[in-house]
Amino acid sequence: MIIFASRNLKLFFRDRAAVFFSLLAVLIIIGLYVLFLGDMVAGDLTGVPGGRFLMDSWIMAGLLAVTSVTTTMGAVGVVVDDRSKGIAKDFHASPLKRTTLVGGYLLSTMAIGVIMSIVGLILAELYILAGGGELLPLGNLLKVLGLIFLSTMASGSLVFFLASFFKTQNAYGVASTVVNTLIGFLMGIYVPIGVLPSAVQTAIRLFPISHAAVLFRQVLMDVPLDRSFAEAPPAMVTNFKASLGIVFQFGDSALSTAGSLLVLVVTTVIFFALGVWRMLLPEKK
Amino acid sequence: MEKAVEVHGLVKSYGQVQAVRGIDFYVEKGKIFAFLGPNGAGKSTTIEILSTALQADQGRALINGYTLGQEDEKIRSTIGVVFQGHHLDDLLTVKENLLTRGSFYGLRGAKLDQAVRQAARSAQVEEFLQRPYGKLSGGQRRRADIARALVNKPQLLFLDEPTTGLDAQTRRHVWESINQLKEESGVTIFLTTHYMEEAAGADYVIVIDHGMIAAKGTPAELKEEYAQDQLRLWAQDQAALAAQIEEMGLEYQQQADVLTIAIASTLDALPIVERCRDHISGFEVLQGTMDDAFIGITGEEIRP
Repeated sequence: MIIFASRNLKLFFRDRAAVFFSLLAVLIIIGLYVLFLGDMVAGDLTGVPGGRFLMDSWIMAGLLAVTSVTTTMGAVGVVVDDRSKGIAKDFHASPLKRTTLVGGYLLSTMAIGVIMSIVGLILAELYILAGGGELLPLGNLLKVLGLIFLSTMASGSLVFFLASFFKTQNAYGVASTVVNTLIGFLMGIYVPIGVLPSAVQTAIRLFPISHAAVLFRQVLMDVPLDRSFAEAPPAMVTNFKASLGIVFQFGDSALSTAGSLLVLVVTTVIFFALGVWRMLLPEKK
Repeated sequence: MEKAVEVHGLVKSYGQVQAVRGIDFYVEKGKIFAFLGPNGAGKSTTIEILSTALQADQGRALINGYTLGQEDEKIRSTIGVVFQGHHLDDLLTVKENLLTRGSFYGLRGAKLDQAVRQAARSAQVEEFLQRPYGKLSGGQRRRADIARALVNKPQLLFLDEPTTGLDAQTRRHVWESINQLKEESGVTIFLTTHYMEEAAGADYVIVIDHGMIAAKGTPAELKEEYAQDQLRLWAQDQAALAAQIEEMGLEYQQQADVLTIAIASTLDALPIVERCRDHISGFEVLQGTMDDAFIGITGEEIRP
């Protein structure tokens, strides 16, 4: 399984284009913010101390959540490639166990997701630093690494399940493009969730990976929130958190951190099981 | 005689299309066995079924003594397959490919290294072991494919059109490797081809067409039975020559000033030439080839 997983890793990292495109979403988001969205969002916070740091942290948290999806999407491409190129036929004529095969695919997908997300984290921290912000304190850094692992598991499982329906590289390529385009909106990372119509807000809250964005925001914005709102009334802080999707409101009550974590864990379990089940189905032509 | 493959009543359909329609045959251990047929005859389907990559609709088969469909794991560990097309990873080197695929057979560490080294030597891929598979030439890739199929030291090697798309020299090279394998390791080789002259290099040939067995035998037997020798006469006086041949009670075909007579063996041409020598300016005796035998059996030219 390890040997097979390392083969998948080599295939991914030697394909420079695949690596680049899986990080493209990250670069685009940073680009959009540097060019105009950043000024727009931060502009609303003029007068608030550390407003820039706050908003940079906000967008970078969203970016990390998106990265977990786009990079695993790229990683799972190996599965579709093997199937469409007929390489899977060679696997099926070998005494390789199907469970080893599926395990190897999952292992490499998660590894790629975590590695690329860490690259994303480094870029994000550099961006925050460049904007006059501060690096994450060690405790929060560890929390972010844990979240990267969890969100990669959740996104990876979801993407793995999706990929089991694709038989050609073309179809998968188109699907990846669509997902990469929509995912940012689906997680509410471009525009604060509070300013969106309520139907869209509901869609964002119901999309399980959005909860990864929420958790990333809670950790990344921990310090900047203290800086900016040290003397603000508590009601205003609560309002701000709800409006930016630092906590998700369901009705009158806010979902706790544990609740969001649970959403991710449950998503992982369900889609992991579904994906493995789909992949283990015997292929009878 | 030991049998490496034994097949009874194999049937496989793709929707409405019947790819294989009930074939029976066996393959003797340690021999080169050729499945000859035009494109779309059902050769690849049969190989995919026998190598457990595809499920048959009906029929049963024994591979290396194991029952197909029940002992697939055991079959898989004792066979090597070179499918049509390429099934190694372009971005990995030949060695990395062999190491990965070798691990599928439970080989690890020193045993794996040893297996890879031996497979590389047998298939003669040592000189480009460190190059990425995707950058190799057609012939090199084919040899790498064969090396991959040998990595588990199989008793039975399936080769689906191993030389298709290769130039004449490379084809010969691949064949040398195949013959050498048979000599050195005693592996049974089951190959498909649509090149007649290649089937002639096998110990036993089955001609398959439209999913059924059209003929079988050694290459010599097939030639003997299905290919006809021909005598071609260049007429000096066409009318006189035609009359002379008719007088001898022979059938002929005329094309311009050349008359062609089908004969049982090349030696039969001598008395005819002797009797006609006054009316001809020249003659030619053609021995039947595997091509003729093939066309004699399938009744048509090779389909593209």
